Amino acid sequence: MARDKIYLEEEFPSPLVQLWIVFRSTPSIMIGLGAFTFLIMLAIFSPILAPHSSVDSNIAMALLPPAWDDAGNISYLLGTDDLGRDMLSRLMHGASLTFGLSFVVVLIALVIGVFIGSLSALTKGVKSSFLNHFLDVVLSIPSLLLAIIIVAILGPGLSNTLWAIVMVLIPQFIHITRGAVKEEFAKTYVLAAKLDGASKLRILLHSVMPNIIEKIVNQATFAQSAAILDIAALGFLGLGAPIPLPEWGAMLASGFDLFYIAPWTVYLPGLAILFAVIATNLVGEGLRHAIKQRKDS
Amino acid sequence: MLIFTLRRLNLFFFTMFLLTLLSFSLSFLFPGDQLVNLTGALNASDSVRDSLAAIYQQDSNIVVQYFAYLSQIFSGNLGTAMTTKSDIFNEILRLLPATIELSLFAFFLATIVGIPIGFIAAINHKKPIDNAILAVAMVGYSIPVFWLGLLAILTFSIQLGWLPSGGQISLLYEIEPRTGFMFYDILVGSSDYKWDALQNAFAHIILPAAVIAIAPATIFIRLARTAMLTVLETSYIKATRAKGLSFNQIIFRHAVRNSLIKVIQHIGLQFANLVTLAMITEVIFNWPGIGRWLIESIYQRDYTSIQGGLLVLSSFIFVVHIITDYIYALLNPLARGAKYGSR
Repeated sequence: MARDKIYLEEEFPSPLVQLWIVFRSTPSIMIGLGAFTFLIMLAIFSPILAPHSSVDSNIAMALLPPAWDDAGNISYLLGTDDLGRDMLSRLMHGASLTFGLSFVVVLIALVIGVFIGSLSALTKGVKSSFLNHFLDVVLSIPSLLLAIIIVAILGPGLSNTLWAIVMVLIPQFIHITRGAVKEEFAKTYVLAAKLDGASKLRILLHSVMPNIIEKIVNQATFAQSAAILDIAALGFLGLGAPIPLPEWGAMLASGFDLFYIAPWTVYLPGLAILFAVIATNLVGEGLRHAIKQRKDS
Repeated sequence: MLIFTLRRLNLFFFTMFLLTLLSFSLSFLFPGDQLVNLTGALNASDSVRDSLAAIYQQDSNIVVQYFAYLSQIFSGNLGTAMTTKSDIFNEILRLLPATIELSLFAFFLATIVGIPIGFIAAINHKKPIDNAILAVAMVGYSIPVFWLGLLAILTFSIQLGWLPSGGQISLLYEIEPRTGFMFYDILVGSSDYKWDALQNAFAHIILPAAVIAIAPATIFIRLARTAMLTVLETSYIKATRAKGLSFNQIIFRHAVRNSLIKVIQHIGLQFANLVTLAMITEVIFNWPGIGRWLIESIYQRDYTSIQGGLLVLSSFIFVVHIITDYIYALLNPLARGAKYGSR
């Protein structure tokens, strides 16, 4: 059908699309996002991609330096550790343990925290005030210390570590969600929806959520960089993943004794942790920048 | 100010209540017998057990038990360690000063390095220096502290051989422990090699303190930068510019003072973070502090020690928290009238 009137339609992208438009304009942050996606891919596909097994030892090939060294072997690109396990494969498997699990941990904490946070934002009175004070106390204890306490209760082990970190992260999400929902509920567009007769739950899901999701995602990036460091730190202290598992922190701890004869067993896992945390922080930085730009414009 | 103090006290009691409650409930949450977890009396004879049960009022209801526990804490009884059978309170008294010394030193280092750099970044906003400082700060707070510690030992202790790799002071020096604060003990003690010992202790503390200080320093850079940027945009700075004051006058007389207040507000929160970093660093540098002791008691499943250590460590963090809040309120009259006690 022919259109006789052609007019330029004004587009109003959704908050998330607006965010993305600002977000992609900074190159360094897109590099961060690229690295972040790369790590997620690695975390998912590492069992297929890794050239060697991450746990089987091969004493004949023990302590090979990386391939660019004269004594290196090209089929072990980043060298081997004291049991002849390929460093590259271990690092790749470690991506799914340290990075992948931190992602899952943050996701679980996010769902639980946002749920409790938005519920508590809708309640008033003593219950709410008590929660507020309680959160203040919990938030003033650093996350790693709290995680160590919980691991002490549950006992060492990888799954206990993960639950501990989930429990540590939940209060942060409750705090952010609660504040954000309260702030939005005071605005006039919510009042308009209320006057239209929308129920509280409907307002929460359809009006408020799209506007606060960016803050929650922002908190998620903070939480993830903390989670990576916490998982690795607990692994390093021997409270997290058991030694044979190629968790980056545990790998560092087992390289500790070799660190003069085979420094690559210490350098490489540390660099991997650094890389993962910087990638996460860059994405978070970009998000904060984009949110600020959108608020200002 | 009185109301502010009362609010602080209120928050303090509430938090102390929660912390002791948490510590008390830990004895139920830890595996094993509750009374044993509480007192550390492992494999005790029946008579000892009975007397302990009487002290902790095990027959009464849970509230009375909690208050019995509380009165034991206030009389300085945290039980005995399950593994070494030593009194936990004395143990902590011996170890805590080393941790306080290390973390205060690191805190001082982070402040004097971080804040000026942050100011420099803000003054050069959107110039290459600013971007470079931001990039370094990003790397700084992404670095895992245990890795940094290992690298520091490898470079400065093993390859260059400049600094010792662990411990608080060389064993050659015999320092009589009075307070546990090494520097104070050396200065007070009477020995012929006072200055040598002082230098040696300084060489021991500098590496771990620098490792701990890196992450908080980068956070201070960001805090100071944001604070300075907001101050530089205010109208009173514009007014000083209009009056024709020189750059140095504006920055040092007006901007720095006002932005420092904003930085101090957030400094207390960072201290908690710093103490956690100190715990890990103590393990690496073999520092005889409470962090290493606590982590070792987790390995040994010494629940009584964990309980006491956590209580003392978190109260320490909280006390520092309150002190910085107080300093902030003293410096900034606007904060005293705050609507809500904790901010």
